Amino acid sequence: MSECDFMRENMPLLLTESLDPARRELTHQHIERCAACSDEWAGYRETWQFLGALPEVEPPAALKTRFLASFGGNVEPIRLPKRSHKRWLAQAAAVVLVASGAFYAGHRSKPIELKEQPASLNSYSIAESRVLPARLVSPNIEGRPDIENVSFVDSNPSDPDIGLSFDITSHVTVTGRPTDKSMVRLLRYVLENKNRAASPSRSRAIDWVRTLYSRPENAEPEIAEALANVLRNDSHEGVRIKAVETLNRMPGGASADTRGALIEALKSDPNPAVRIKAVEALANLARSGATFDSATLDTLRQKAVQGDENVYVRVKAAEALSSIHP
Amino acid sequence: MIRSKTPALCAAIALLMSANAFAENLISTEKIEKLFPAESADSVWIDNPFGNIEVVGSDSPGLAITAIKTVTAPDRASLKDGSEQTVVSFEGDRNVRLIRTILPRVHNGPWASSVSYTLRVPRTVHVKIASRIASRIRVANINGNVTVNMFSGAIILDGVAGASIINTTNGKVLYVYRQKPSTNAQIQAVNADIDVVVPPDANFNWIADTLRGDVVTNLPVRAEFLGSAFRGTVNAPGGPTIAMQTLLGNIRILGAGLDTRLVQSVRESVTEPPQRPVTMQSLLMRPAKRIQLPISGGPFDFSASIADVEVGEVRGWAHVQTAAGEIKLGIVYGDCTVTSNGGPLDLGDIMGTVMASTDAGDVLVRSARMGGKVSTAGGIIRVLYTGGPLTLQSGGGDITVRQAAGSINAETRSGDINLTADPLQRTQHIQAHTLQGNIILNVSPHFGAEIDATVLTSRPDANAIRSDFNGLTIKRDQVGSKTRIHATGKLNGGGDRVELFAEEGDIHISNVATSPVTVMSPP
Repeated sequence: MSECDFMRENMPLLLTESLDPARRELTHQHIERCAACSDEWAGYRETWQFLGALPEVEPPAALKTRFLASFGGNVEPIRLPKRSHKRWLAQAAAVVLVASGAFYAGHRSKPIELKEQPASLNSYSIAESRVLPARLVSPNIEGRPDIENVSFVDSNPSDPDIGLSFDITSHVTVTGRPTDKSMVRLLRYVLENKNRAASPSRSRAIDWVRTLYSRPENAEPEIAEALANVLRNDSHEGVRIKAVETLNRMPGGASADTRGALIEALKSDPNPAVRIKAVEALANLARSGATFDSATLDTLRQKAVQGDENVYVRVKAAEALSSIHP
Repeated sequence: MIRSKTPALCAAIALLMSANAFAENLISTEKIEKLFPAESADSVWIDNPFGNIEVVGSDSPGLAITAIKTVTAPDRASLKDGSEQTVVSFEGDRNVRLIRTILPRVHNGPWASSVSYTLRVPRTVHVKIASRIASRIRVANINGNVTVNMFSGAIILDGVAGASIINTTNGKVLYVYRQKPSTNAQIQAVNADIDVVVPPDANFNWIADTLRGDVVTNLPVRAEFLGSAFRGTVNAPGGPTIAMQTLLGNIRILGAGLDTRLVQSVRESVTEPPQRPVTMQSLLMRPAKRIQLPISGGPFDFSASIADVEVGEVRGWAHVQTAAGEIKLGIVYGDCTVTSNGGPLDLGDIMGTVMASTDAGDVLVRSARMGGKVSTAGGIIRVLYTGGPLTLQSGGGDITVRQAAGSINAETRSGDINLTADPLQRTQHIQAHTLQGNIILNVSPHFGAEIDATVLTSRPDANAIRSDFNGLTIKRDQVGSKTRIHATGKLNGGGDRVELFAEEGDIHISNVATSPVTVMSPP
């Protein structure tokens, strides 16, 4: 069996969320790099969505008999948009379900149950769902999904709920509280995933995060960690400026990780605006009574006396030092 | 006199005791004495993170050390814990005697400790001290070399004849020469004031460098400034070099016994009014200042090395130049030229042309009625309104113009550009260029333009040119490893040229009907 065949066997299970995480990741990776399987997968998804949209009614027995009998003769094709092979897919969808069940039964000790699952924390994955409350989305994002066109929704400011929309395999809107773990993880993913999420999304995400998570009631260490990672790793200077500015407004002090990112930025970021905002953030921390380790003090001191550094950065480093009581 | 002071003293002691009782802190003190009678050590090193240190040279041989260990804790167990974990150690040999306080690297107990040392040492010994915080470190009557490293506190060197190096961050340094300086001294601080007292007839070279503080003396000095650094000779040329550097503190050299009323600022006396264009070096020669004015009745011309400037209203033109600091101007009735070598600029309603630049920091212009030029080497530029042609340049950071009633030329090395044309404008020339970011151009439904928009991207599936208007032709081609997306065409039958270029980002030409910003007219 070729790799493609094997992966295509996985596709029905992928659709029904029945693959274990390792195989799921493997299948996604294969789909990403194999054009033929990618096309196949797109066909599966469209059909699946099409089937999902159909009302679930039990056909009358006479109609069912006539329908099955018509398989032997001229069948009126189901009209699907665009793809020619969808006809086959539409017809085969039911077979796929049976086949996937059989396949699964052949490989697992227990057959999967596609229907009648009660809503639980992990009953949806963002990779396949469309409109979801955050409480039903698993906070563990698997498979590095390629998400695009991220937008943020706060249609009712008096309502604490917010929304995060994006394109994945379909357009998804996840709604929930800013502090819902799934919402936090999604935002973190958008912020940190510079290779996948396009920079426009990250830039907008940081703006949004600044508005939302600078409120004390929404303080989230994971968001601060994500911003710290952006500050460390993002090649986009504009994004780094926004990240450090947002970190400066995060309530609840700064973790060691955040401080480390600020110190690294102050030490070596080529953009003076990033360095200024980093040293200002450290100065704010110092004023609020935070204690600094000797490495941080050394860095601030080196910056203060560094002759070729921007004078404003030097002055701010000195001011930060004057507020520190080790 | 004594009788009259006693009750007050008793009251103070009682108050202290009651305060301690209320604070429920227990204090233990332990005195440790050590004598090395036959010691003729070359060097004495003292490493004490918290606590005072006094080292006094004497002609008698031997080394006498008294250490007082003080531990504060809320309960007896913690007090015991703190006392056990604060260890006074005597190490080394006849060459180098090391005295140090050993504290745990991390201690979680609710105790605090400090150790105060008093040392009597041979006068010829070399002394090296490391400390983090102390009220006072004093070294007196020493002919050997002295090195002091500390973070915060007062450092007093009294009668130290050997070479000395002092390194501190906060606090104060007082160096009193009992004899004419004969060896070099180097004092480096960040925020500390540095005072040196010398015999009035002492000859030496003097280097003083402070960014925000002043350099003063009452001694005859021949001097020149090079930027913020002052180099000169005191009395006659020659002799050792005394170098002092403090970033934000003041530097003073005083002649012992001379009238302190003769003290004058060296910086003020040698500084010429800056010629324009002013170089960074000459700007740093200017004294630092802090200006906060509600109204300047006429033109406002100001330059300083480091300055935070805030003027509510300038009834004339404004010219501000600093080496570093925050500049904030409210209303300026004429042209406004602001140059900073570092620091944010916050400009209000500028009636004339605005020319604002900073080497680092954000720039906010609320209203540039005649347009002008705004630039930062790194930072975000925000302009709420421009009524004339405006050029905007950022070395890295977003550029936003909320309402442009004049032509715009915006360029950033990395960041988003967001431009909104005045809704009353039927057409205007716009140029926007970002090497890493997105461009959003908001125009009214009737805006006419000849569009030339380019996106250069390594992710053609993610980046795009989007337009809410019809009539654009979009082409894609390959340029090296990147894809070029090029859109051309006319909006509403054409108009002035609009050139947009974004690398690794999107371009969005948006059709928005916005209300014009209201800019308050001057009274």
